[in-house]
Amino acid sequence: MLAQPDLDHTLTALADPTRRAILRRLSRGEARVTELAAPFDMSLNAVSKHIRMLERARLVTRRRSGREHILTFDPAPLGAASAWIEEQRTMWTKQLDALDALLIAEDRGAGNPEMQGSSDD
Amino acid sequence: MTDDTCAQVQVRRRFTASAERVFDAWLDPKTAGRWLFATPTGKMMRVEIDARVGGGFRFTDRREGEDIDHIGRYELIDRPRRLVFSFTVPKFSAQATRVTIDIAAQETGCELTLTHEGVLPDYTERTVGGWTMILLGLAASL
Repeated sequence: MLAQPDLDHTLTALADPTRRAILRRLSRGEARVTELAAPFDMSLNAVSKHIRMLERARLVTRRRSGREHILTFDPAPLGAASAWIEEQRTMWTKQLDALDALLIAEDRGAGNPEMQGSSDD
Repeated sequence: MTDDTCAQVQVRRRFTASAERVFDAWLDPKTAGRWLFATPTGKMMRVEIDARVGGGFRFTDRREGEDIDHIGRYELIDRPRRLVFSFTVPKFSAQATRVTIDIAAQETGCELTLTHEGVLPDYTERTVGGWTMILLGLAASL
């Protein structure tokens, strides 16, 4: 029901604006580490740390081309994250449906004195 | 983990019942046990609610012969507007999450907004708004 370890990595990776910006850039096509770092006002080392978190979440894969490291975006983990979010949403929606049904049933029961807030129906 | 985790799920719902009744349904053990953390096939075995800030709760739902605990602690109780509690299901995850209930009274009934954040305790003050949309927007743009 709650986050699995892989999912924790995905959600953590997505929780940061710099990492989302990196992903948006990579969603347009692969890039070298130095290219990725250029638009950000931070050290190459700091950007590398963000990239490692994206790699840990398997949202980004790395390959070597000579001395360059080329990064590619892999959207597969996003599916699991979306599914988890939908699962949580469904769980809460069902519970709130149950609460609503319960309160309506109470109103229909033995003349609830607190009925002033429930004029519908 | 050294970074902030922030998965956020938000659900909004209108109720014909008053804000007070909807609020109390979260904290009154008799009422809460009939819907909160209850499953259609499970049986609510035990509900313990210590309804004060810092107080804890435990809901035990028996599912297919197995007792599933839902535990947490109340962080803010502001009847009938706002309720905040930590929440975890040890069976599924050690990670503490946080649920915020906002209830806005309306001419008839009320509107409830539930926000469930999968945040780590050390980073509860930090939130990243709308990342769900960013995530889905990103997925849609591929």
